[in-house]
Amino acid sequence: MSPNLTLYAALALYAAGTIVALATLFTREKRPQHIALGMMIAGFVAHTVWIGTICVRTHHPPLTNLPEAAGFMAWAIFAIELALFIRYRVHAASFFVYPLVLMLLTVSAVVHEPFVQTPAGISRLFITHIFLTTTGVAGLLIGLAFGVLAWAQDRALKSKQRGALWDWIPSLNVCKTVSYRALAIGFSVYTLGILAGILWSYRTQAELMDLRVKQVGAMIAWVLFAIILQAYINDTYRTRRTAVIGACAFVSIVVAILGIHHV
Amino acid sequence: MPLIAVGVNHRTASVDVRERLSIAPARMNETLDELRGLDGITGAAVLSTCNRVEAIVSASREDVIESIVDWLTQRAGANRSELEKHVYILRHGDVLKHLFRVASGLDSMIIGEPQIAGQVRSAFIASRERGALDSLLSQVFDQTMRVAKRVRTDTGIGEHAVSVPYAAVELAKKIFGDLHGLQVLLLGAGDIGELTAEHLSAFGLEQIFVANRSYDRAIELAERFHGQAVKFEGIEPYLATCDIVIASTAAPHYVVESEHVERALATRRRRNLFLIDLSVPRNIEPAIASIDGAYLYNIDDLQQVADANRELRMQKAHEAEEIVDREVDAFRRRLVAQDAVPTIVELQGRLEDIRTHELEKCLRRMGPMTAEQRAAIEQLSTQLVNKILHYPILQLKEAEEPAERETLRKTIRKIFGLR
Repeated sequence: MSPNLTLYAALALYAAGTIVALATLFTREKRPQHIALGMMIAGFVAHTVWIGTICVRTHHPPLTNLPEAAGFMAWAIFAIELALFIRYRVHAASFFVYPLVLMLLTVSAVVHEPFVQTPAGISRLFITHIFLTTTGVAGLLIGLAFGVLAWAQDRALKSKQRGALWDWIPSLNVCKTVSYRALAIGFSVYTLGILAGILWSYRTQAELMDLRVKQVGAMIAWVLFAIILQAYINDTYRTRRTAVIGACAFVSIVVAILGIHHV
Repeated sequence: MPLIAVGVNHRTASVDVRERLSIAPARMNETLDELRGLDGITGAAVLSTCNRVEAIVSASREDVIESIVDWLTQRAGANRSELEKHVYILRHGDVLKHLFRVASGLDSMIIGEPQIAGQVRSAFIASRERGALDSLLSQVFDQTMRVAKRVRTDTGIGEHAVSVPYAAVELAKKIFGDLHGLQVLLLGAGDIGELTAEHLSAFGLEQIFVANRSYDRAIELAERFHGQAVKFEGIEPYLATCDIVIASTAAPHYVVESEHVERALATRRRRNLFLIDLSVPRNIEPAIASIDGAYLYNIDDLQQVADANRELRMQKAHEAEEIVDREVDAFRRRLVAQDAVPTIVELQGRLEDIRTHELEKCLRRMGPMTAEQRAAIEQLSTQLVNKILHYPILQLKEAEEPAERETLRKTIRKIFGLR
């Protein structure tokens, strides 16, 4: 089977699932949400096959360039979302997570980058670095999504007005707990990934890091996520400042991901 | 086989009529036996709740309705003409629609209330255990429960509370999720406060602390909730440990003030505090609503939630009615097709016998022929029979009215010489 076929199947299913899920924001019906989830799961299966095919064909994990890393990150984000859905039955996260997964896989499909098999590029340390950072970022983004839900739930409860998400969002405690745990775990894994990257850089280029877009973006994101995590620990996550920092952290992460390709 | 429902409900009969007809659980078996004993009834179930008493039966003929009304009259100890004013009689597809609507909570006094599904289930289970359910009623029961579940799952009609105490419970769930292990502080002994605490306690609270101006009354209430009485003057430490505070006192001033809550939240480490003020004049300072981590709802706020939920339920009820209509249609078609199966099988058998018999005669007359020629003749005969059977079978499957179906069945049996 052509890897592209499974990639496009996954993209089509993710796109359909995302559209149906977003439509339920207006209709507030549960059945389309279930249909959307079914489509996303079917897309996830195709996505998994695509990743597996790449592994088999290239004999390395799909983490060596932007399209592969974006594809893997999308896969990891959806896997975490699915696990959380099974545990907490949270439909509302789909409004953030599905478009994110679709966006990342679209990057995989659109951006073409040749695979250059240098020894450094497929060393275990490099693969570990990419694996940990992408998985960590997946956790952090899920944490951000649930953070937005916790904020929306808090606002709805305080204002005594139901928003469009009221029926889809689980309890405030669940949102806060999932967000905090995802951020804490994601941050730890991401930190290990950065350390592995620094070590790899030192071994291959005899310097700890250079100031390219992806490194700078990643370091800024690390600092911002550390501040957000601190806000959670101090229970000050509801503030406007945390919301702004969260948005900046998201942008930094996107810059770091896209930076893999450009510089 | 006719399906019939005869009964009274909260819309057709006042409580004094309903109470005369209601059946205590202990007398259910005896009642089912009586109903089943009526001539012509093949299966029976009785649904008796505070809002309705209904006999749902499958019968060999329609005139059993008279016997059922007589039986109800006798049970109510009323005269027949008096009872007939309150009784409704439903037949066939209307029974299905009625049952689906009842089990889904669409026919309830409070639209979408969830208890009725359990009551319908109990009624049918009691009947099944008594051996009073025939195959038709058994299928109807299974389908009724499936439809009720689908309506609840797809529309979420019963998810939102429509009374003030339940609205408080719903909000508590929105804040804390699972209410297990939470602690509640009940201030005062107002009725609605008590009721709210009672509803909350059904969700596995760890402890209820009760504070009242009269300590004796606090002890009395605490005993009722298996909780603990606390002195009214010493409530502040409990704000730091309790997750929900319900105020329902007659005090003309604030009992819980902003600084109490600020101090309490400082020690709570990311745990939220839900404050429910059910008293008028208010007992909880409104400024508390602006403190992070504290969620304050007064009686008007809760009433608004309940009203909005009621409106939402009405919207969901429209979706639910559409589901019920579709399900009735599909189930009726299935029952009709199922009902026609014996006649269809017999008809197919009869024509197959004729075909094989005539084919053999024809082949004998024609003498030796090749395998291809023989296959062509066999195919011709099969196709001919299938074409002839197509419309009679279609008509049998699609005739929805029992009378029409019966006439059709008799006609087909007569024409094709079936036994």
